[in-house]
Amino acid sequence: MKRSLAGFTGVIVICAVGIPFVPLCLWSFARRWFYPDLYPQAFGLRAWTYITSTAGTQVLTAIGHSVVVAAVTALLAVVIAVPAGRALGLYAFKGKDAVSILLTLPVIVPPLCVAMGLHLWFIRLGLAETLGGVIGVHLTFCLPYAIFVLWGVFSNYNPDFEDQARSLGASRLTVLTRIMLPMILPGISVAALFAFLLSWSQYLSTLIIGGGRLMTLPILLFALMGSGDRPVAAAVSLVFVAPALVVLLFSARYLGTRSLVGVR
Amino acid sequence: MGDLKLQNVTIAYGPRMIIQGLSLAVHDGEMVSLLGPSGAGKTTILKAISGLLKPDGGDILIDGRSVTDLAPENRDAVMVFQKPLLFPFMNVAQNIGFGLRMLRFTKSETRRRVARILALTRLEGLEFRKVHELSGGQQQRAALARALVLEPSILLLDEPLSNLDANLRQRMRDLIQSIQTETRMTMVFVTHDQSEALMISHRVALLLDGRLRQVGTPRQLFYEPIDPDVARFFGGRNFFQGRVENGLLRSDLGVFPVGRQDGNGHLRMATIRPEDIEIAPLGKSANGGLTGRIVKTNFEGSAIRHVVTTTAGELMVLTTQDRFAPGQEVALTVSPDKIRLFPKS
Repeated sequence: MKRSLAGFTGVIVICAVGIPFVPLCLWSFARRWFYPDLYPQAFGLRAWTYITSTAGTQVLTAIGHSVVVAAVTALLAVVIAVPAGRALGLYAFKGKDAVSILLTLPVIVPPLCVAMGLHLWFIRLGLAETLGGVIGVHLTFCLPYAIFVLWGVFSNYNPDFEDQARSLGASRLTVLTRIMLPMILPGISVAALFAFLLSWSQYLSTLIIGGGRLMTLPILLFALMGSGDRPVAAAVSLVFVAPALVVLLFSARYLGTRSLVGVR
Repeated sequence: MGDLKLQNVTIAYGPRMIIQGLSLAVHDGEMVSLLGPSGAGKTTILKAISGLLKPDGGDILIDGRSVTDLAPENRDAVMVFQKPLLFPFMNVAQNIGFGLRMLRFTKSETRRRVARILALTRLEGLEFRKVHELSGGQQQRAALARALVLEPSILLLDEPLSNLDANLRQRMRDLIQSIQTETRMTMVFVTHDQSEALMISHRVALLLDGRLRQVGTPRQLFYEPIDPDVARFFGGRNFFQGRVENGLLRSDLGVFPVGRQDGNGHLRMATIRPEDIEIAPLGKSANGGLTGRIVKTNFEGSAIRHVVTTTAGELMVLTTQDRFAPGQEVALTVSPDKIRLFPKS
């Protein structure tokens, strides 16, 4: 009974995730596909050859930018979120509520407002249309999520493990690297994954701060979609989804095999 | 060497005073229990000795040298917590070898020492197990092994038996005791269980309300409590007042020789342990002439506890005879040499 339920759930999940990909794949290989046919009238590799040769450099640059921006954003988000999450999860201090409200603000306020507001500042600071500027604006959206994840992790974290390690002869620094980090690693990977995927799919903020010059995959995707070439847009969409899917599968497997054992 | 000295140690959490002016000397090779009810500050003291918590006042000395300002990793005192706290991302051998790796022992030396301690704590064959695959008792033994392997001058044990069931508890206690006898390691053992403290330690230090009330051998604390609070902690329930006159204590319970002339004419508190009162059916009463009626009976297995109302007030009686019932009139006999007269407070 339980097993069949799990199977049923699995089928639903696979359908929900997989079905949108079917038309996407069909479109990317379609040469002619007109209403009202259910399948393309003719198949071809035009879209794929287009994005690998004609627009190849463009796509590669976009992938490169997206990867760099998302990776650096995720890294910075985690580096800031670990101490922040620790402070929020383990210690009581004045203004804790204010901090939590402040953290939710970038999530509540429409991204357009945040990006527009920051744009003015970034122009003054010379950050507009730069990689750093885009990373900065992505961070405003990714950081709250990363902090919320690690806040949760640290509220279930038992600092006695660190005391025990110190009593056994570990220095303050060693405790951080050899005890705390391994203990919260699952949480760190979730936070990094969130931040990476969130940054990966940013369009509006990248467009505003990057001024359309900094080409990331979403920017390229929207440009192609606007041009009305559906097969090409479908092919780029698949390229866009692929790395995210790989990251997700990898971490799902990793998180599955290594649960939060030992965290109180 | 493992001489430990606490001098006038004071610890407060904010405005709340936890430990007040505590002084205690633990000699090399000694097993001292720090006994007290939950929340008495026992763990706080251990943390102060191990360096995890800095006292607000006073000094802590190990082998005559002040360690008050020394970081925990540099102190020759290792603490074993109430929970095993085995690092979940390491296997058993890695856990036990953790401290040795911190001290930068060579791999082969670490392996040799870990193997020896595994044998001592009867964990052979489990070295490559994951932590969560161990039973509760095995986890606690691994936690103990992890500290023992460092051969610290002073081992601090924070209620390491409290998470185990009765059977395992006894085996673990025997293990700790035999290791202590064998290694002559100085140990400070924190517990809230008076029988555990009496069984395991050379000396017991009783902590009540952040202060050391009495330090002494288990027999001293049990038979010669310094005040009613100490007696109460060790199961004393019968307290009464009497007037001391010419070496005699005159009280409602009777007149008893106390063999001391001090405090002549003063009222003094005294106690008699529940098991030192003899109970007999009425009629066969020999001397003393104390009679009463049983109002409550609790069957405890090896003993039966009666509450008896007498003309001298309510008395608790512990007996091994299972032949009395509530409502019954009984005669009570108090042997004078079992009366404990408290020193003048």
